[in-house]
Amino acid sequence: MSVLVLLSVLGVVLLYLGLFNNRNAIAGMGIAGLVGAFVLIAADRHLESPLFNGIIQFDTYARSFSLVMIVVTVLLFLFGIDYYAKVKENVAEQYALMVFSLIGGLLICSFTNLVVLFLGIEILSIPLYILAGGKRDSFRSGEAAFKYFLQGSFASGFLLMGLALIYGATASFDLAAIEAFSTALAGGRDMIFLLGLFLTIAGVAFKVAAVPFHFWSPDVYEGAPTLITAFMSTVVKTAAFAAFYRLIANLQLPGAVETMLVVMTICTLFLGNIVALRQTQFKRLMAYSSIAHTGFLLLAFLGADARTPEVLFYYLGTYALATVGLFIVLTLAKRAALGDENIRIFRGLFRSDPWIAVATLFMLLSLAGIPLTAGFVAKYRVFVIGLTQGYLWTTVVAVVMAIVGIYYYILVVREAFTAQDREGKPIVVAPLNWLVISICGAAVVVLGVMPGLLRM
Amino acid sequence: MIAALLLLIPFLAGLLLVIVRPAQARPIALVTSLASLAVVLFAWISYTGGTVIHYEHDWVNAWGLRLVVGYDGVGLLMVILTGVVFPFIIGAGYGQVSDRPALFNGLLLFTQSFLFLVFLAQNALLFYIGYELTLIPVFLLLLSWGGAGRRAITVRFFIYTLVGGLSLLFGIIYLLVQSGGNGDLSALANLTLPASTQLWLFWALFLAFAIKLPIFPFHSWQPETYYMAPLQGTMVLGAVMLKMGLYGVYKLVFPMVPAGVEYWQTTVIALALIGAVYGGIIAFRQTDFKRLVAFSSLSHVGVLCAGLFAWNAYGISGSFYQAFAHAILVLGMLYLVGAMQERTGTTDMGAMGGLKGHAPRLAALFLLVLVNAVALPLTQSFVGEWLMFAGLWQVSGWLTLFALTTIVIGAIYMLYAYQRVMLGPDRANLSMADASTRDHLYLVPLIAVTLILGVYPGPILELVDAPVQQLLTSLSVH
Repeated sequence: MSVLVLLSVLGVVLLYLGLFNNRNAIAGMGIAGLVGAFVLIAADRHLESPLFNGIIQFDTYARSFSLVMIVVTVLLFLFGIDYYAKVKENVAEQYALMVFSLIGGLLICSFTNLVVLFLGIEILSIPLYILAGGKRDSFRSGEAAFKYFLQGSFASGFLLMGLALIYGATASFDLAAIEAFSTALAGGRDMIFLLGLFLTIAGVAFKVAAVPFHFWSPDVYEGAPTLITAFMSTVVKTAAFAAFYRLIANLQLPGAVETMLVVMTICTLFLGNIVALRQTQFKRLMAYSSIAHTGFLLLAFLGADARTPEVLFYYLGTYALATVGLFIVLTLAKRAALGDENIRIFRGLFRSDPWIAVATLFMLLSLAGIPLTAGFVAKYRVFVIGLTQGYLWTTVVAVVMAIVGIYYYILVVREAFTAQDREGKPIVVAPLNWLVISICGAAVVVLGVMPGLLRM
Repeated sequence: MIAALLLLIPFLAGLLLVIVRPAQARPIALVTSLASLAVVLFAWISYTGGTVIHYEHDWVNAWGLRLVVGYDGVGLLMVILTGVVFPFIIGAGYGQVSDRPALFNGLLLFTQSFLFLVFLAQNALLFYIGYELTLIPVFLLLLSWGGAGRRAITVRFFIYTLVGGLSLLFGIIYLLVQSGGNGDLSALANLTLPASTQLWLFWALFLAFAIKLPIFPFHSWQPETYYMAPLQGTMVLGAVMLKMGLYGVYKLVFPMVPAGVEYWQTTVIALALIGAVYGGIIAFRQTDFKRLVAFSSLSHVGVLCAGLFAWNAYGISGSFYQAFAHAILVLGMLYLVGAMQERTGTTDMGAMGGLKGHAPRLAALFLLVLVNAVALPLTQSFVGEWLMFAGLWQVSGWLTLFALTTIVIGAIYMLYAYQRVMLGPDRANLSMADASTRDHLYLVPLIAVTLILGVYPGPILELVDAPVQQLLTSLSVH
């Protein structure tokens, strides 16, 4: 509980710091606050005890995902120091909104009551609508914000309707009571409950950008400021997946819902990877790659495997590390190429800074799932779950799609290791960015060789 | 200890080269590879038979990955091959234009280390990890130092290989799940899967190796990649990397899915031989020396694979024996390609001709390398091919006859190449240097190995014989 209070106060303090317009102080304060939150959670002795009349429970599961989100936010704030250096106004608001969004993230990975799920998702999303439109003079940024807001509202509507129907069927918002209801129902039919589950899952699937609820993601990823895109594809994605799994983990899912999940998994894998093949803009590529990874993560959901939380945690954590690093590299390359976002802008990276190029190589290989990187371990464990749970053909699709996936990452690797032939300045890496990229690049290899280090 | 040395010597030296980038990169790399060779020879001398496990350590037990390294006779042969070949590959760099030599040689050493990992791994996942890792330094070698069209060709090569790799991974995971999470090869070999499963699992496992070798119809990445790659890159691909395919079949396909092998045996042999004949015919039509070597390699590999799938003692031993011979042959041929290019500035055979008059010693060396290529008796290739055909004969007489035509075709295109390069009117009109000390230092040991092993194949056949017999008996038990 104290961590929620701390973060809320932190957000407000950041807003007030904005009055002094000292950017380094704002970022420093934000990072200090987040480190404080990290320590609070890590040192919390009252784990497992329900909070607020039993609507929140900070168990090991919630704690692990919260820690990942906080660490990634710290990395993004470190990046923010350089990213916002040239921005004239409203810097404090950006940091504060990210902190508020993070609070929503913490709520939805620790909920035990569906009302908190809804509130958490809204707290997570509303700051994002604003952040996506953070570049006020940019047309695309406004478009992204508007699209995200409109479609997000629809998703919220679905979710709310679904929760209402579930309440109608079970007469409770409490997750344990609903689980008990689904177990008692086992095999029987209850149309209201079923429809409620469908709509709720659709609402959450929107947040994780699973097909067919993915339409917002490429446009929003492309239009939003890069830092916010990175935030969305890491922290928000982690939170949404944590919530999704928390919601369905112990439910006795009716057959129709299981089928829906399998179809959703296959479609997501297929569409994300195939469409990514045609992308030449890096941010859109990352958007579709993010959809593709959603597909792999969904595969881990199928069947009730005891290892799923562990695998989700590892997958999301390492995915976030690789993604943050890549978005930073993108920002630097984009700056050197005067605003272009085509993957060609990575040309010459190896010549201008070999170490950063190698770190980029590691991160891309990790996303592609090449052995000895964390991404390989993550995919491998997902495949094992898929096969153990008997989803042979879905796993085959996933393996084939993993192959397709390698192709578009390799195209980016190829650019990074080709000599520069474009106009513009060489790629310059500020020390702080260098540090964050190095951390991310090294982490995916270290965690790939010693997967035991990242455990719930 | 031996395993640790083999893995670490090249890896650490490679790391040193890549990070420090010393000026004397090539001598350092050469010395490193000679040190590895010394370790390899020591391993050979101290080998007394059976499966030796050098090091065993739990890595991530929960999902069947353990660090188990060691070798049986066939594995040791592959280790020897890798150890022998790399000093030559690095040495070949002396005739080449060098751009960023430290990085280049560093990547070569990384490749060697990962190859050792593949041949030493006694755990299916560890094998897979090594198998994929070798790809990364080679990918960067081809991408940064390759010839024209490298960007597209390299990506195609990479994707092809990874398609196979992931299908292999899928097969391995399937096996792991069946075995209850124990990934050691010895444990997986004890699985008895239903025949219907083995039929498809065979392709999941074999596809990777079919692409790596490559056999027809999975070969379309190969000729262009060989042609475009820098000379030393082609040497790595042709001399060692494709042997991972043979070794993988022996290690992962034969023991795990014997019923699948039995069912698909004839199909694979037929495909391999089609590739062999097809590669040979196309090689004959080439006007470029390096392309000719690429297609001849395709042809040879087809025969290697057919011999392996004869699936009896003659065929398997012959195939591995020939694999060694082929590695030596590829080094020799490609070195000659490099030597010609150094002198004439091209690899186009149309621009050569009559070079014997200028460089009689080089021509003699060329001819000596060539006799191995056409499998003349008393050369190493003859032993290998004889064994393979004897093995194939037990499968089918007609297939053997078909396979024998590759020898004829091979002789035709090789001798024709010699004719076009060395004999005839002097088209190049160059005053070129004859074979230098460096050329002799390089080619004479290769030729010596060929001839010695052609007359006295015992040491290598002994290595291979026992494990192959053991494999075949264990299969007949199933």
